[in-house]
Amino acid sequence: MSLVPTRPEPGQARPYSFPEIRRVRLAGGQIVAAHLPGQLLASATLLLDGGAARETIGREGTAGVLAKSLEEGTSARDSAAYALALEGLGAELTTSVDWDSFRVGVSVPVGLLPGAVTLMAEAARTPRLDPADVARVRDDEATALRMDWAQPGPRADAALRADLFGAGERYGRPLNGDPVSMAAVTVEDVAAFHDAWLKRPGVLLVAGDLDKLDLQELAAAAFANTSGSAPAAEGPLDVPVAAARRVLLVDRPGSVQSTLRLGHRAPERAHPGYVPISLAATVLGGAFTSRLNHLIREVKGYTYGIRADFAMARRFGRFGVSSSVQTAVTTPALVDTVGEITRTQLDGVTEEELAVARTWRAGSLSVDMQTPSSIAGALATLVIHGLPDDYYPTLRTKLLETTAEEVSAAAATHLHPGGLTLVVEGDAAVIRDELVASKIGEVVDAEV
Amino acid sequence: MTAQPAPVAETGYPWPIETTRLDNGLRVVVSEDHTAPVVGVNLWYDVGSRHEPAGQTGFAHLFEHLMFEGSQHVAKTEHMRYVQGAGGSLNATTNPDRTNYFETLPAEHLELALWLEADRMGGLVPALTQETLDNQREVVKNERRQRYDNVPYGDAWLRLLPLLYPAGHPYHHATIGSMEDLNAAGLDTFKAFHARYYAPNNAVLTVVGDVVAGEVVALAEKYFGSIEPVADIPPAPAGHLGGPATSPASEVVYGNVPAPRVYLSHRTHPFGTAGYDAITVLATVLGSGRGSRLYQRLADGARIAQPDFIGSYGVDLAHAAAPLIITATAKDGVDIATLTTGVAEVVASMRSEPVTEAELGRAKALLTTSWWRQVSTVAGRADTLSRYATQFGDPASAAYRLPQWQAVTAGDIAEAARTLNAESRVTLTYLPSEGGTE
Repeated sequence: MSLVPTRPEPGQARPYSFPEIRRVRLAGGQIVAAHLPGQLLASATLLLDGGAARETIGREGTAGVLAKSLEEGTSARDSAAYALALEGLGAELTTSVDWDSFRVGVSVPVGLLPGAVTLMAEAARTPRLDPADVARVRDDEATALRMDWAQPGPRADAALRADLFGAGERYGRPLNGDPVSMAAVTVEDVAAFHDAWLKRPGVLLVAGDLDKLDLQELAAAAFANTSGSAPAAEGPLDVPVAAARRVLLVDRPGSVQSTLRLGHRAPERAHPGYVPISLAATVLGGAFTSRLNHLIREVKGYTYGIRADFAMARRFGRFGVSSSVQTAVTTPALVDTVGEITRTQLDGVTEEELAVARTWRAGSLSVDMQTPSSIAGALATLVIHGLPDDYYPTLRTKLLETTAEEVSAAAATHLHPGGLTLVVEGDAAVIRDELVASKIGEVVDAEV
Repeated sequence: MTAQPAPVAETGYPWPIETTRLDNGLRVVVSEDHTAPVVGVNLWYDVGSRHEPAGQTGFAHLFEHLMFEGSQHVAKTEHMRYVQGAGGSLNATTNPDRTNYFETLPAEHLELALWLEADRMGGLVPALTQETLDNQREVVKNERRQRYDNVPYGDAWLRLLPLLYPAGHPYHHATIGSMEDLNAAGLDTFKAFHARYYAPNNAVLTVVGDVVAGEVVALAEKYFGSIEPVADIPPAPAGHLGGPATSPASEVVYGNVPAPRVYLSHRTHPFGTAGYDAITVLATVLGSGRGSRLYQRLADGARIAQPDFIGSYGVDLAHAAAPLIITATAKDGVDIATLTTGVAEVVASMRSEPVTEAELGRAKALLTTSWWRQVSTVAGRADTLSRYATQFGDPASAAYRLPQWQAVTAGDIAEAARTLNAESRVTLTYLPSEGGTE
């Protein structure tokens, strides 16, 4: 007997189904719930239309300070009592701010969810926001951001974002602010942000065994002390592309690696071409077997990893490539990366590559959505981008049926290798001359 | 509203478990769950960096990379392509104790995963080339740069281990290894490494999800049954330690860091013992969450520590006394002596101030949620069963961990805290150097 030499055929595919979704209006707010029978954990998220895009220019970080301040005591109890009550249920408050939403969530054994949602809403709706506490949180957040900005990456990300969206625009500033804007946030900014965006009911997302949960009870807790309605949605931005490639050099003296952030603007998430566009990115740099990871990591050994994606929000998107490469190979890695983007834009994708990309993405819908938290995240995507209940089953079918011609056409239309901004954060004294000599784009020093 | 206690669990593993051993020694563990059409496949090989002799640090981990580069019937790069092409995700990790390989796939692709895992268990050596080794050595060196060398405080773990464990101890060196040793690694050494350790009788195969146990065992026999066992697999060097360290050790690092930071660390008990369960609960009382003593007293109370960078945790190593690590980072204008004294006082309070029922309830509730989160995916469940089968001989013993945490008393914690004294303490301090970034 010996090893089986041939690859086995797959068995009978199980039918795909997304959990049953229930949308109900209760207690003055909207609940979107997914039923997960038998699941021991349950997750609830308050999805509020108070994302980073709502922040004032120059005060980026306001929403983040508010998120951290929610746990500094409520109208009912001080911060120590709040921590003990919430953590005594085994829950921790998860807060997050992205471009389009402000989220507050909890995840606990299902029987404890009502108590956890009550405490979550208490923090979100009736935080104490004592000026001294908010000022201290703001200072801590500014310090934490300085810590973060000491790592490679945030400065490069900021340089890319400013170049693509304009340093004077909110979308051109870092999502979570920078150390300067964070330090400029005032107590009044935070209170005003709470008044404007966290007192509206928003949407409560629930993922768990709904046979064991009373949605009326959860809604009553989540929507108490709220008023107002959802703000009107604004349309997507245009997608301008630069006329020529440029290299923005962010100096990090002594760095043993160069951090690469390449990008250009792209359409918004609800764009009808989402499936072929994102499949093109999967072939180029999404999967481990992608063109970029194969060449830059597996063939050349320049990096531990490299990826490309389209990051898409409600009003805009951006195509991006990110990696860290050893300093000595910065320029060849950059040249090879631009080469693969160009090849993909010009020649499209092959059926063989696409076969991997489409089945991987389709399979990921099952593999990645096993937990209540991940299901709640999927529900958030539906709500933010106005997608229907059958979105995930339909997405799966589309992923499996999209042709190489359609994906190649999307790559030709939505990749712009000639208009890329190439941000390189590394030891400028070591890498500058070779970057200039490569003529891959005009080399400009970035002020970050 | 008062804190309600989390419900006490009778078992931490309410799913069926079937265990079989093939004639070649491979243990096969199956746990059925038909709620989602996915399957998690997980292999633990009982080899980690603790097996590495001096001069060969980093070999177990570099070897893990080589396992993805093709085998007898799987061409280079095809492993990843097949799994992702089936809609799966996959990865592997190496730590001091063991090396694990795992994938989650739509359930109809179970056989693919078993075929790939068997081919690289039984047929890696014929496919191993100098070119592959050279390429993956560069990838690993980049991993080291990206994770440890190019990040402020990134090398703390690498510095703590030799302070915690004496030279020659299997935990003395870090899994990532040294650049020098990696550069010296030759192809024959790796072929010998595979022949020695990647044996069916040195591994556990766990399959969790939408499968039928009997069918999985038959498939395991079909794909792995022909692989010969290896006699006399050499054990790792003994990890025996004569109790806690008897003299303190410390190191100060001046570097490009944004703020002073301190790590206090102690050797405690091996993972899986009652003593380590007490340490796990102690670490949660002391440093997990906003209700923890460290947060309440230093971030919220004295306000000398940054709230996002304070905490304590055990590193779950099973083959010798495992480390407890306590860390805090200074707020602006706070000097390192004030911070270190403050942290040491809170650690000492674990002995001098009995843990209250509220503190204990909070810690157990958090641990309960984290346990259920860990076993909420087929991958998490499979890795847990592989661990308990490998380290304790019985996957079903995974069910006891959660009840054992819940049974820890204030007295157990006081007892555990007695070992956290200054005489046995490792202190690692980072200070911004002149001219470093602020």
